[in-house]
Amino acid sequence: MEDKECNSGGFMRLVSEESCSSTVTDELCVNNYQTEIFNQLPSSLARRRTHHHHQDRGTTETSHPVEKHPGLAGEARDRALTQPIRSLPVCMQRKREARDLRHLQTRTVGRWESWKRNQSINRKRLGEQVGEAMSRLLPWSSTFHTIEGRFGVGVKAYFVFLRYLLYLNLLLCLVIGGTILTPTVVYDSDGDRGLLRFEGNDSVLDFFVGSGFLERSPVFYGFYARSSLDLLCLNTPLLFLLGTLTVLILSLVMVVRRTVVGYKHTWLLGNHYHIHMSYKVFCGWDFCIHDPEAAALKLSFIRNELKLYLEEERFQQREARRTLGQWAHLYSLRGLLHFLVLVLLGGAFCLIYYATMASQAERSGDYLILRVLLHYLPPVVITLVNFFLPHVFRHIAFLEDYSITTQVNATLVRSIFLKLASLGMYLFFLFKNSQQECWENQFGKEMYKLSVFDFLACFCNTFFIAYPRKWLVDRYPSSWLARLSGKQHFLIPFNVLDLVYSQTVTWVGLFYCPMLPFIETVKLTAIFYIKKLTVLQCCVPAQRMFRASSSSVLFHFMLLLGLIMAVITLGSNLHQFEPSSSCGPFVGSATVFNVTAACVDSLPGPAQSTLRYLSSEAFVLPLILAQIVVLTSFESRRRANGKAIERLKDMLVMSTSDKHFLLKQHTLSLRRRKKTFKAPTTVSGTREGSPTTMKDPSAGIGEGSHIAQLKDPSAQPTGDDSPS
Amino acid sequence: MGTTASQLGKDLLSEYQELTFLTKQEILLAHKRFSELLSKEDRNLTSVPMEKVLSLPELKSNPFRKRICHVFSTSDMKDGSLTFEDFLDLLSAFSDSATLEIKSHYAFRIFDFDDDGTLDGGDLEKLVNCLTGETEDTRLTPEEMRQLISNILEESDIDKDGTVNLSEFQHVISRSPDFVSSFKIVL
Repeated sequence: MEDKECNSGGFMRLVSEESCSSTVTDELCVNNYQTEIFNQLPSSLARRRTHHHHQDRGTTETSHPVEKHPGLAGEARDRALTQPIRSLPVCMQRKREARDLRHLQTRTVGRWESWKRNQSINRKRLGEQVGEAMSRLLPWSSTFHTIEGRFGVGVKAYFVFLRYLLYLNLLLCLVIGGTILTPTVVYDSDGDRGLLRFEGNDSVLDFFVGSGFLERSPVFYGFYARSSLDLLCLNTPLLFLLGTLTVLILSLVMVVRRTVVGYKHTWLLGNHYHIHMSYKVFCGWDFCIHDPEAAALKLSFIRNELKLYLEEERFQQREARRTLGQWAHLYSLRGLLHFLVLVLLGGAFCLIYYATMASQAERSGDYLILRVLLHYLPPVVITLVNFFLPHVFRHIAFLEDYSITTQVNATLVRSIFLKLASLGMYLFFLFKNSQQECWENQFGKEMYKLSVFDFLACFCNTFFIAYPRKWLVDRYPSSWLARLSGKQHFLIPFNVLDLVYSQTVTWVGLFYCPMLPFIETVKLTAIFYIKKLTVLQCCVPAQRMFRASSSSVLFHFMLLLGLIMAVITLGSNLHQFEPSSSCGPFVGSATVFNVTAACVDSLPGPAQSTLRYLSSEAFVLPLILAQIVVLTSFESRRRANGKAIERLKDMLVMSTSDKHFLLKQHTLSLRRRKKTFKAPTTVSGTREGSPTTMKDPSAGIGEGSHIAQLKDPSAQPTGDDSPS
Repeated sequence: MGTTASQLGKDLLSEYQELTFLTKQEILLAHKRFSELLSKEDRNLTSVPMEKVLSLPELKSNPFRKRICHVFSTSDMKDGSLTFEDFLDLLSAFSDSATLEIKSHYAFRIFDFDDDGTLDGGDLEKLVNCLTGETEDTRLTPEEMRQLISNILEESDIDKDGTVNLSEFQHVISRSPDFVSSFKIVL
């Protein structure tokens, strides 16, 4: 009997939360917060001080809010004394008292100290005001606010990414303007070379194809030549090369920095759904919202996200319960679909190859329009392929039965591979067939055409697809076409892919068409307004929210991939092919790097040998080794920190359960003593007298006997259980 | 100790600047808005009842508006009415120059619906109900609510006592890159 009682009421697993939230009102299971001693614990006192200082105003207790904190150990108390008054989380009256007390204490502070403190406060205020003014200068912030209110954070992330690319391109324009355009303009010894005039054969179509007038303008590589600026170490070709290299390095630094910052945030949030949920619940509401409609929308966004997380967690649990047969079936299906994806990619590349061959074949005698269309055949094919295939990939990913995030990521990875690889294939086919004079101009023209056509495609998509679709769905909502296409959502991943693609084209073509960043800047500004129009007029907010935080890392990483591809292409070009002998600033040299070699040769001896050493293997290899050693040390420190965190967590759980256990014991023994005091002659065993063996979780089994001594010696265990 | 005089004294103004995170213009604007709230009532009142405070456009659409009033109110009757100094305390905690510590401290108190110093299951349930909407069809099902609360506790409750205390709450908040910018009310 007694043992059974012990088992039902006595064993408390204090390490889990069930014990504390149990609803058993048995006297043995006492809720922590009802124990008398709980209110005297240092942590409770610390909490109560801050509460009461906010609430009692009429009490005589005007104690300093900080000094009477017995719970605050030395360091925390010092921090509370030295932090600024306004950071104390108490009401105004208490802050006044704290300030008066501080003034009393620090009356001996000299004038120098107070002047220094005033200066630092003023400087901080000035910094805050400058920061605020700068952020107000950022354009389009009100547009972002509107879009975020109506469509959520994901769509706003797209527009923020667009603005970031715009800034990047502006910076590139500055650099190129300074290093490439300015010397040519200033030092152009031929003066009016007569190249910038319209000639007889020019037409408007030249702007689309890049021939005629444009071919002779600064847009393409062929315009630049060795001008009068001809010192050994400061000549136009060298500046041209330096400008391009600077642009690429700058882009690399900026994109890497942004990727790393985003990755740090994502890594902090971790990959577990639990973290997302507590984060969403605690930090989800935006207190800046004033409009009731925007508030209702935000509430629905939060609800949808929570449901999405819960659904993904249930999917994970379902996935864990799959049988072997189901796994086999699923894997075979996935293998088939992967093969299908590869076939589609191969087909796309073949199409591009044929289109390139067809456009390269020169055909005279055709109509001008036909020739222009043929010129544009490869960009058209590439754009069409990039338009349709990602949607196909999306449906394939849906069939593969992944969780929603994995579906989106898989589609994204496949689409980015498609875009970059199709661009790479196109470049490869171009280079294989370039045997013309001034092949650099040819290449520059192709990149120019790609860029222009990308913009045309975006324009046509908005005005010939998005608006008609909206009109159709609004006017004839029950027709089969409207039901097939459905309401329009702003598909963030595909739009971001378009941006990444156009930026990659800019980087690849930079060397052969130096004005590409300028064109890209204008294009991005136009795209911003077009997309804004599309989103605000034609789209409805998606119910399935796209998780912006982890995917923005993916976007920046894709941008980085594009940049790496551009750098590799350019590097291999510069090494393999020699500059053509009829155009461009590198006429006459065997490779592009002859100009740098000439410059290095002209330097004094020590500088030359230093430079030669810096670019040789004897320097690079030890540098790489040193970097590897540094990285390894960081990684091992991280692992050690992780282990320390786990150990500290275990210690914390253990000491909390110790605390709870001791609280309960203390309360029970107090109550037992009170009861025994009241009825000293009671012999029949009341409930509290039964031998409960509460096991202290952190101590060993051996302590059980010690605990049993806390039993009241006067109460004898008997057979009957009279309820107390 | 608020003031209902139409002008704010200079030394009071500088005192408020010292004790809060607000700039001079913000304090004057707050004074103006507070006086507007009072102007329809008796002039001798020093505190504004909760219903009037809730009619401010900045608070009207906020699902936590009642809790905010209760947290910042120092009235003895615990009815959520605010004096001018309470109002300044509110704006100071919600201003954009307030530190993360003070914001997380007040956020914790706002979410602590039963004022016991920790966020237990009941607090979390009320919190989620505030966030998902007031009507019946927008709430989560009980099953989903149970799953959500157990997930939140599993992640945030580091010492495994079944509740989220202030340090654990601040630990979750510190991972968020934009808590400071979203926990903001500007007049």
